[in-house]
Amino acid sequence: MKVSHLLTVALLTAACGGDPAPDRSTYEASEPAATPAATTGEAAEPFSPAPDPAEKGPQISSAPPAPLVAPEARAKGVNPHAAILADFKERVDAYMKVRKDAIKDAPPLKETSDVTKIKAAQDGMAAQIRAARPNAKQGDVLTPEIAAQFRRLLYPELKGDDGRDAKEILKDDAPSAASIPFKVNAKYPDGAPVPTVPANLLLNLPTLPEPLQFKIIGRHLILLDEDADVIVDYTLNVIR
Amino acid sequence: MRRLLTVFVLIAGLPFSIAGQELRVPNKPDSVKFAVIGDAGTGSSAQKGIAKEMATWRTRFPFTFVVMAGDNMYGGERPRDFQKKFEIPYKPLLDANVKFYAALGNHDDAALQRNYKPFNMNGERFYTFKPKDGVRFFALDSNYVDKTQLEWLDKQLAASGSEWKIMFFHHPLYSSGETHGSAELQRDLLEPLFVKHGVNLVLTGHEHFYERLKPQKGIQYFIIGNSAKLRKGDLSKSGLTLFGTDREYSFMLMEISGDELFFQTINERGQTIDTGSVRRVGKVEPAPGRTTQPVVPQARPTPAQPGPRQPESKSTPSK
Repeated sequence: MKVSHLLTVALLTAACGGDPAPDRSTYEASEPAATPAATTGEAAEPFSPAPDPAEKGPQISSAPPAPLVAPEARAKGVNPHAAILADFKERVDAYMKVRKDAIKDAPPLKETSDVTKIKAAQDGMAAQIRAARPNAKQGDVLTPEIAAQFRRLLYPELKGDDGRDAKEILKDDAPSAASIPFKVNAKYPDGAPVPTVPANLLLNLPTLPEPLQFKIIGRHLILLDEDADVIVDYTLNVIR
Repeated sequence: MRRLLTVFVLIAGLPFSIAGQELRVPNKPDSVKFAVIGDAGTGSSAQKGIAKEMATWRTRFPFTFVVMAGDNMYGGERPRDFQKKFEIPYKPLLDANVKFYAALGNHDDAALQRNYKPFNMNGERFYTFKPKDGVRFFALDSNYVDKTQLEWLDKQLAASGSEWKIMFFHHPLYSSGETHGSAELQRDLLEPLFVKHGVNLVLTGHEHFYERLKPQKGIQYFIIGNSAKLRKGDLSKSGLTLFGTDREYSFMLMEISGDELFFQTINERGQTIDTGSVRRVGKVEPAPGRTTQPVVPQARPTPAQPGPRQPESKSTPSK
């Protein structure tokens, strides 16, 4: 464990804050925990995603390089990197609020032996989330500035032995980039392996509230709503 | 003449065959009894073969739960896949109220499996359970070792006191596999917590072979990622290896009695391929700032078994 990991974690924690981690279940084997009461809701219309430039697989972004320092932050004299990460947190929080409102009437994702019910809850949740952000587009959460900051945070971890290990993990049983739809609001494909995110890279990125997770497919980063299997946003070529 | 020779070989092999099917764990009345599988969710004949042996062995060793070390469901995860790759193979165990506790692998759909009640994950991607006083299990999500999980683990381990602390998750922190090898990035983060809090045993999969490793920093590691998949020739026995095979499917029986944990690893033909015990030395009480672990597992063959059968041995009895 590098000292730089710890420092980065401390910086990210300070910059991003976030609610304390929820307590996990601790239970006796003979006493399964109670499940929450069910609520009902109507499923949303099926999602019809708008055409996306990345529809035929991820392309090299043609956007001009983003400035590393937000102009507003520079003007205010605040730590520019912290400001970018704070901006990311705000965008994530905004998504979580939209999400919370969107799914309040959807069937809850709860423990059951019936996989059909879990799938239905997941699909219903996904439909509500898509309906609540129909105009969401690439870069809404992972703005060019944030993506550039992430590249900067990840770059040191991709060098040396740890970097080699990380790149091996990213290749290990990973789906091909062509098999994953790089499209906002798209569904992460059923049956596709879920690539392991190298722990050293993860600790250099901001901690996300559940059920959001970072996924790295090839060289590209996805922000995934894991419960709904919805791609919230993505950015290309974060891995050099 | 050939027929006579075959009969002779069969008769000569019979005592060894029966010996290979003996229960090598003590099967004490008040012990914690469980089984371990990994990388099992294929729906293949190999999975069914292992599942059948598990049910057969349970008639002699009544384990009450099964720990799953990830990759519980390969490929599609439609309702019929859960039937084909879990409910049907393990039906005799499920019917006997044997509980399954799953950890997530890199082939698993987390949202589905966390909420699939027979996996007993309680909706979480990492969780803990205590089958009996003095023994606590921790299921981790080694696909996504983030700060949230690390903080949770630190807190839970600190609170767990002098119990047996048993981890199960997918990626092996130590491995002699050619394809994957040791998950060093996860190890950098998890091992310090394991050592700090006196973890005794770590069960993993991901590698499609069986490997019993030399205790590392006082912790006993097993890889059991061959409960339905094999990667023949992938185990490159190293200084880490105490015993291993990449030529047989297997599952494990485990029993905890007092400070001793007994294990017996059984292949798809019902033969014992490895056996032994791990002794926990001393008691661990939570102490702030602890940096060394006073609990030192000592893996050794049980008295009933002179040593693990080497898979390449020509004299190995077969059924």
